[in-house]
Amino acid sequence: MENALLVGLSRQMVLMNELDVVANNIANVNTSGYKADNALFGEYLMPRASDQSFSGRDRRIDFVQDRATWIDMSAGSIEHTGNPLDVALEGNAFLTVQNAQGQTRYTRNGSLSINAQGQLVTMGGDQVIGSSGPITFQSSDNDIVISATGVISVRQGNGTADTPRGSLSLVTFDKPGRLQKDGAGTFTAPADMTAQPASPNTKVVQGAVEKSNVNGVTQMARMIEITRSYTDIATILQQQSEQRRNALAQLSQTPTSS
Amino acid sequence: MRALDTAATGMAAMDLQVQVIAGNIANMSTTGFKSQRAEFQDLLYEHVQRIGAQASDQGTILPVGIELGSGVKTVGTPRLMTQGALQQTGNSLDVAIQGDGWFKISMPDGTFSYTRDGSFQQDAQGRIVTAQGNVVQPAITIPQNATGLTVNNQGQVSVTLPGSTTSTILGQFTITRFPNNAGLQGNGSNLFTATPASGTATDTLAGTDGAGTLTQGFLEQSNVEAVTEISNLIAAQRAYEMNSKVITAADEMLQTTSQLMR
Repeated sequence: MENALLVGLSRQMVLMNELDVVANNIANVNTSGYKADNALFGEYLMPRASDQSFSGRDRRIDFVQDRATWIDMSAGSIEHTGNPLDVALEGNAFLTVQNAQGQTRYTRNGSLSINAQGQLVTMGGDQVIGSSGPITFQSSDNDIVISATGVISVRQGNGTADTPRGSLSLVTFDKPGRLQKDGAGTFTAPADMTAQPASPNTKVVQGAVEKSNVNGVTQMARMIEITRSYTDIATILQQQSEQRRNALAQLSQTPTSS
Repeated sequence: MRALDTAATGMAAMDLQVQVIAGNIANMSTTGFKSQRAEFQDLLYEHVQRIGAQASDQGTILPVGIELGSGVKTVGTPRLMTQGALQQTGNSLDVAIQGDGWFKISMPDGTFSYTRDGSFQQDAQGRIVTAQGNVVQPAITIPQNATGLTVNNQGQVSVTLPGSTTSTILGQFTITRFPNNAGLQGNGSNLFTATPASGTATDTLAGTDGAGTLTQGFLEQSNVEAVTEISNLIAAQRAYEMNSKVITAADEMLQTTSQLMR
């Protein structure tokens, strides 16, 4: 009898976590380059001494537990911004950036800017790494053009010739869903994953950013599902405790001799 | 419950988004206005189970982990520094910049501000000033009896003095360029000031070193696009609504739990 309560409780606890995941997705519905999270559950078999050999044998108890969250790496829609330093990536690639601690991170958020040193940085101030180190602009540079392959060229001063300023380092991963989120729109690669150069089919779109891939309808539907299951479990728990109370009430009646 | 706080960050972000859009729409007809855009990033993640953690004594590792995010933050409201459309006014002291660069304005406190709003006037001393009366750099004084004021596309201001058949050059507007225009700080009244993010100001002349050229008799209109703003407004409003629904859902779940106890 106790087990029903505990099994129900395990389900409610993971539902709370799932709501946290959904809440985070909905909060980031307008975050450029955001990739939605999904929760995954597994069953947990209660390890205990049991004997299965007799009829009416001990039953196994299954609990629910969080198994994992996985990242939906599908592409978000591409929004035109008109800013020459905004890039959206078509295809499975990531931009390589370096954070203030000098660690390599990967991002799909191509809303870029130039810092005081003339370096190309993300909105969060992480340096964008080109195929040959950081990308630096001179103060007389204008007409920044980023080609479909990620080559950055500028016009210097009054010049009419294009001067190259490096090219974006686009990388890809075998199983991008296994990347780990690091906040601020960046991902880290676990130790067993290595970045590979992106396929030549990857296209860089200048003057556009990739929107969040969170689908509002799906998230709302999932949220309704979560609240309903939570309420259902609560009802079961309530029925259980009522059953127990009834049993106690009936069993505690002392038989009267008639 | 974390979901409540997460949804609250989402509502705050969408509130800011609406504020930014309201500012853009309100300035749709402001000369030289540059539209803003709110840029968001996800907040830190709690790694309940880290990817690659040891799963057993045999050295198997977890292929995936459990990450719970904690919402969204606003990382900036960069300005879109694209060229606004030029509107003809016919006023000889209206000057528009076509291309990159800013007019340099000296403020009463001795510092410099920068603007794309070229609707200039003359003050009592005949100096070329902005609508607020701040002097456009370098100070150019127009003699009282001068006629035929011309600003050429390099920013040279010339007039015809009485008794003369040729025009006299009075001065040339300074055009200032920044490595990162989006890093300039907006101070209201169409004025911007330099910040560490904008980089150092380089004073130059129109038509040289990458600076744009000037057009007399025109004003640069705001670069706000009504369609973009309205569609962003709709998206922000819906996102706000969805975040509030998350709060309702979390609240309902908590209520269900509290009702268990009788």
